[in-house]
Amino acid sequence: MAFVVVVLLWLVAACSPLFTERSRSIRLEERLQPPSLEHPCGTDDLGRDLLARIVTATPISLAIGLVAAAVSLGVGFTVGAAAGYFGGAVDLALSRLIEVMLCFPVLFLLLALAAFLPPSPATVIAAIGLTSWAGDARFARAEILKMKELDYTRAARAMGASTPRILLRHLLPNALPPLIVSAAFGVGWAILAEASLSFLGVGLPAPAVSWGGILSSSANWIEEAWWIALFPGLALFLTVSAYNLLAEGLRTVTTQGGRNA
Amino acid sequence: MTAYILRRLFWAVPTLFGISVIVFLLLHLAPGSPGAGGADSLRRASGRAAEEMRRQYGLDRPLPEQFAAWIGRVARLDLGESFADHRPVSERILEALPHTLALNGLALFFALALAIPLGVVAGGSPESAFDRASGAVLFAMYSMPTFWAALLLQTLFAVRLRWLPLYGTAADAAPAGLAGLGDRLAHLALPVACLTYGTLAFVARLVRSGVAEARTADYVIAARARGASRGQALWRHAFRNALLPVITLFGLLLPALLSGSVIIERIFAWPGLGRLYLDSILARDYPVILALSLLSAVVTLAATLLSDIAVAAVDPRVRDGAAG
Repeated sequence: MAFVVVVLLWLVAACSPLFTERSRSIRLEERLQPPSLEHPCGTDDLGRDLLARIVTATPISLAIGLVAAAVSLGVGFTVGAAAGYFGGAVDLALSRLIEVMLCFPVLFLLLALAAFLPPSPATVIAAIGLTSWAGDARFARAEILKMKELDYTRAARAMGASTPRILLRHLLPNALPPLIVSAAFGVGWAILAEASLSFLGVGLPAPAVSWGGILSSSANWIEEAWWIALFPGLALFLTVSAYNLLAEGLRTVTTQGGRNA
Repeated sequence: MTAYILRRLFWAVPTLFGISVIVFLLLHLAPGSPGAGGADSLRRASGRAAEEMRRQYGLDRPLPEQFAAWIGRVARLDLGESFADHRPVSERILEALPHTLALNGLALFFALALAIPLGVVAGGSPESAFDRASGAVLFAMYSMPTFWAALLLQTLFAVRLRWLPLYGTAADAAPAGLAGLGDRLAHLALPVACLTYGTLAFVARLVRSGVAEARTADYVIAARARGASRGQALWRHAFRNALLPVITLFGLLLPALLSGSVIIERIFAWPGLGRLYLDSILARDYPVILALSLLSAVVTLAATLLSDIAVAAVDPRVRDGAAG
């Protein structure tokens, strides 16, 4: 079911170019209008149709979320798997690194990176990716440790398989399900992170519009125009929920096999 | 047990070192510093800021020397002066601390006080109506962005219903004494609520799955066979073991709360550490940024250590296990 929502989101994102014109048209005589037939989500403080703006923000938020999650997962899994697989000094060192990263409030680091580097989508993606990987790393390490003790790994070693071969042909395919679960959770988090950054004013530079950015300006109009806060936030909430739901479903499916053993 | 504690403390030292290195690197990433890359209009405009930085951090000296000097100062609790108003950083932090403590302390308290019973009851009867209903609500809470919830709650309770104030810690013309306390509590209500629900959802789900799994475990069935009531078996046995993951993750709750603080404090104009951090980032007030980053990481490390020791005290398997 969550899958359906995710697909719907992608469709909305794909349709967004149709709305760009509408989202940009500033009509000051129509500013701050509540939802109506002509403007289903109302208008913002510059008279722009809110629904159009929300739709336009969709592909941006989604794209950044996906890429940032990929970066975070890539770094996290590499570090975690290396720590788990090689063990010994490598594990000790990398585990320290993971612990260090986990000690910082993510938003603190995120803000620092996003604010200090020149504003751009790449900065946002890099910032999110480089600050969120520690959780995935710890998870990956635990999974690899589990797999190391399993029979097929020992068998492969006994047959004389070299390390890269073991990693690629045996561990990686079996690591795929938890990896996918992590990825799904990661996307939800990355979308939230980007929205938070935009909300706090250090996200994407203008004129790029994202849900977080719209919500940021909504705080100024909280007394007059509640719809500017409601609808973009709703979009954000539905998106994150969909990905979280997807992730949870995937997690149930992938651990079911182990449970029934 | 002592051996475990010593081992754990030993392994905390490199982590502490790593934390200080990362915070130090932040300084050099920052625009205005000779170590930073990337063009930034700020660099051109911040002649004075660059001067300050060079003065406080000796940026023209070799890196290791700078690092050592900075560590030395921090160890003596000299956190430097804020760029913004030239007051000692420690003073600004101490000013903001009580507000953050109040907010986060209450949030943590309510989150745990509500989540644990909720989780136990839900986990005690999995797939029941209560479990399904609470599960859905908790999931919604888990996925809801804090700033959206905050804005919505503000709109409902402060703007529409006018039951609660919109922002701030207290009204400008607040009465003293007991009535003043009521005013402060009213101002606390929304921020605490917003900070609580995320942690609540997380812990409740954790406890629920822990209890749901534990209740089918052998030791619980054995306890029942020995005549323990359902409630006793649930609380004294399943709950204890389900609490383990919560204690383990306690150290991670802290950074999550601090992160949430940044957003909540911004929305509610709450003069705490989160807002101090955000303002400092936007104003490029590096001494404050560094001090806060270091402080939060060190406190989290301490909390993690404490929770690890607590788990070891409760679970002998951990005590005899490997380090790291």
